Amino acid sequence: MDTGNNQTENKPLARRDDYLWDGSGEPDPEIQRLEALLGRFQHDRPAPVFPDIAPDRRWAFIPGRMRLVPVVATTAAAVLAIALVTFLVYGRKTVPVTVVGWDVSRVAGTPRIGSNVISGKETSRLGVGQILETDHQSRASLRAEDIGQIEVEASTRLRLLAMGAGLKRIALDRGTIHTYIWAVPGQFVVDTPSAVTVDLGCAYTLQVDDSGAGLVRTSLGWVGFKLNGHESFIPAGAACATKPKVGPGTPYFEDASPEFRAALARFDFEDSRSQQRAGDLAIVLGESRKRDALTLWHLLTRVDEGQRVLVYDRLRELAPPPARVTKEGILRLDQPMLDLWWNELGFDDISVWRHWERSWAGASTPVREK
Amino acid sequence: MASRPEDRVELAPSLGRRTVRGDSSPGVSEDAMWVSAARDGDRTAFGRLYHRYARMVHGVLLAKVPIGEVDDLVQDAFMMALRRLSTLRETQSFGAWLATIARNLANDYHRRSVPEDQLTDDTSDNYIACGNTCGDNEGPATEILEAVRSLPDAYRETLILRLVEGMTGPEIAARTGMTHGSVRVNLHRGMQQLRAKLNPNPSSNTPDQETP
Repeated sequence: MDTGNNQTENKPLARRDDYLWDGSGEPDPEIQRLEALLGRFQHDRPAPVFPDIAPDRRWAFIPGRMRLVPVVATTAAAVLAIALVTFLVYGRKTVPVTVVGWDVSRVAGTPRIGSNVISGKETSRLGVGQILETDHQSRASLRAEDIGQIEVEASTRLRLLAMGAGLKRIALDRGTIHTYIWAVPGQFVVDTPSAVTVDLGCAYTLQVDDSGAGLVRTSLGWVGFKLNGHESFIPAGAACATKPKVGPGTPYFEDASPEFRAALARFDFEDSRSQQRAGDLAIVLGESRKRDALTLWHLLTRVDEGQRVLVYDRLRELAPPPARVTKEGILRLDQPMLDLWWNELGFDDISVWRHWERSWAGASTPVREK
Repeated sequence: MASRPEDRVELAPSLGRRTVRGDSSPGVSEDAMWVSAARDGDRTAFGRLYHRYARMVHGVLLAKVPIGEVDDLVQDAFMMALRRLSTLRETQSFGAWLATIARNLANDYHRRSVPEDQLTDDTSDNYIACGNTCGDNEGPATEILEAVRSLPDAYRETLILRLVEGMTGPEIAARTGMTHGSVRVNLHRGMQQLRAKLNPNPSSNTPDQETP
């Protein structure tokens, strides 16, 4: 899927933000106006008078009391011995302490990490390899300072798979989570039984039922849904279903007509005969509004060659392609042209996704539970 | 470690605002030196830390609490840092540690007294904080500030540090301990959302909902 044009596609984005980033580049008049207006709230108080600071004597005190070393050593040996005995007696019953992970707090009921119940106001840590489960009356909240926040609904089971510097990965086996992510786009990944969800925005809800089918609904930014090369981009206000063995369906705006959504669902997951598929595609095209260019753009790569020209014609009516995009190019699924047309739809720049694909090619397949 | 080119950029001198420099590498080593000196009782060293980090703490708090409370809480944050300085294990992480203290103080403030939805209605506090410095543009300024403060946490904090406190992206990263990537994304996305809030009906190329 790498177009070879990614670096050049990324540059305009970076250049556009240079002034916002460090004040270099061409000044943005709107940002300058905001700076001028908001600068009045800038911190301008002089430093307060701080009280005297008591010097930290932790190290200074040792040389004068070297005679205490044997006592300290004996005490340390005793403490170590007690710790060793404690470990041998209780060690197998103790959950290993994990340094890296998500802070988990109880919202309602009795959520569990493994067999440990989270109760009261205490905060627990969900470490790599551990499982968080809520029953039908429990809810929990996860937070990691550099990544974001996840609200876990009742009857949910999720696992923390990775917490590396570059890729943060969880698996949602069943249930519902609401995520609000502020990590760098493409770093936060959720495996479901039927697709991989990649955060390219900020906030979305992900549901997985007992059959492994899923639904993602984006409320802020946009989200990528991917399985084995089958990909969907879901901007704010849109949703996308996924089914085991099929993968992500076609994204759609939730305010589309019921006929549109029903026909799209049949087209994605039910139709087996070409006549049925043609009928449902005709309904989708006939019911589509300008906003539904989102769906039609995705359909370009999901229909057969004969139907593609129909989708192209309708999409061109709804959202004319940019000058460099030709009908011939789209009909042969030229990836750079498809990307250019996507960028023209006004949802977000697809280079963010292409960058993620290059960086995390191996992350597009769910990690199997061991 | 060599300093990066972007750490040496001056911000919009034409605005006549405070010139800022991102100085992640030298700043971090100076921080460690000043923290050590302050631990040994050197008040001047702690004063230097105050001058380096006061805007960052102010911005973090301004993103979360009513304007009239911010200056007092800035002082509280530094007093708390002073008292707990001996517990800071990684002296080069002073900025991130201090930012956490400020965020916790803001959270405590809301737990103690104020329902969060008052944040956007606190015009009396705004007025108090402006004092004599507010001019004819007070209305638009406070409206814009409230728009920033209605953004998600990560965006409002980063945007306030950039637009109110006049810090550059590299400097925000150096002061708060966030990565350059996170700061850049927060600025970009936060600005996108702020533009949408300030211009709710732009004549952009975003597809509308009407049937053609």
